Amino acid sequence: MIQFSSVAKRYPGGHEALRDVSVDIASGEMVAVTGHSGAGKSTLLKLAAGIERASSGMVVVNGQNLGALGETALAILRRRVGFVFQDHKLLYDRSCHDNVALPLRIAGLGREEAARRVRAALDKVGLLARERSNPVALSGGEQQRLCIARAIVNRPSILIADEPTGNLDADYARAIVDLFVSFNQVGVTVLLSTHDEASLGRLGCRRVALNGGKLAAP
Amino acid sequence: MTWARLHLLALAEAMRRFAAQPLASGFSIVVLAIAIALPVIAAMALRSVGAAAAGIDTDPHVNVYLALDASDEDVKRVGEALKAHPEAAQVRFIPRAQALAELKATSHLAEILATLDRNPLPHAYTVRVRTTAAERVGNLRTDWSKIPKVDQVLADFEWAGRLGRWVRFGNRLLAAAWLLLGGAVAFIVGHLIRLQVLTHRQEIEVSQLMGATAADVRRPFLHHGAVQGFLAGGLAVALASGLAAWTGYELRALTPDYAMELKVVFLPPMETLTVVLGAAGLGLAGAWIAVARELKRFSVKA
Repeated sequence: MIQFSSVAKRYPGGHEALRDVSVDIASGEMVAVTGHSGAGKSTLLKLAAGIERASSGMVVVNGQNLGALGETALAILRRRVGFVFQDHKLLYDRSCHDNVALPLRIAGLGREEAARRVRAALDKVGLLARERSNPVALSGGEQQRLCIARAIVNRPSILIADEPTGNLDADYARAIVDLFVSFNQVGVTVLLSTHDEASLGRLGCRRVALNGGKLAAP
Repeated sequence: MTWARLHLLALAEAMRRFAAQPLASGFSIVVLAIAIALPVIAAMALRSVGAAAAGIDTDPHVNVYLALDASDEDVKRVGEALKAHPEAAQVRFIPRAQALAELKATSHLAEILATLDRNPLPHAYTVRVRTTAAERVGNLRTDWSKIPKVDQVLADFEWAGRLGRWVRFGNRLLAAAWLLLGGAVAFIVGHLIRLQVLTHRQEIEVSQLMGATAADVRRPFLHHGAVQGFLAGGLAVALASGLAAWTGYELRALTPDYAMELKVVFLPPMETLTVVLGAAGLGLAGAWIAVARELKRFSVKA
């Protein structure tokens, strides 16, 4: 489903975030990327989602070599990948409903069908009652769940989450982890990063450890 | 999703953005409308002058005055010589008695003329000529001055040529104004759209992360720019027409005092349409440039 072959990522300015990383993630698998802050976890996830391009090596998602895709094709690929951002990336000038509806609007879904799916996604993360609220009015955990609702609303086959349990207390973190487990159980390929041991234990999935941008010995 | 549906959604989004900031959108449209109205007003003024000038007989005429002592025989001979000239299109004889009668009828000199014991006016020919070129008219004058008993040859249509040149000068001035103000409109729209883009910066970034293509991001802004230009163009034509109607009322009151008829000429429908659609096009162009610049800056790719 997702293959990294000798991938390196160098940012403008020379910082090398990833070096010679090769990882295979099978369809329907759940994988946790671990490592200390600055190890390259976020970069790896962004490369898998087509948000950034590798400097060298090859990233293949769903059989498509991302390096060979043009800007437009890459954008269209991003529509099929759900991404939960570490900093949420919610829009605070609109309701929870409209935030979750954004990917559907981009995909050009009709208003009624979109509303139906948005409500289903909000229900899934337990935020249906807050549909008309502004995200500002939500707690950190609720904002995280709103972000998850937005990531799954388009029914992606791949769900990627960058530190979804970061800054959350244990109860909230547990609920979030259970959500990802439930998505994985219905066949969604899940790739998430975390450095929280409790969450890792609860996920009970394969781990890919990064250290200084390289794969750490297993 | 069909192309038409994409654009319909983008148009709806553009209208939503208009509605979200009614005051700012309104001011922007008024600023643009004033910029567009200026050359429209200038075009109307020039047309009005042109129309008044068209009412004046500007066909080139040359007057040939005969000597006072010219006999009927001489008159006939000169007439034939003039008619035979290849540059003469039409030759009209004005007998001295008729000239005097016309002068008495059309001027306030009747009393003075009545005191004269004899007619001071000569026989004359008015010749409509086929050219206005200075050199050829000069040749005509030389040729015809040589005809015996011809006293004077006057080509008094230089003023008509001058009027034509003034109108052409006005047209050029107008073209320059269109160019400058058209550029201004594109830049103003570009700037306004750029502000719009900056306001929607976060939405654009998140949309791109969620899979919006550059075209998806651009589309509502293009509609916004085009609609803004279209409304401004319409308002500009309305402003100019209102102004023309208002000044036209006074101008009509003045008209009887002058030989030429002065009246305000409105832009014909086709040109009105051109102004409105042109403004929409400039709005579109401005939006395109502004969004392209900002898209490059916000590019998700490293």
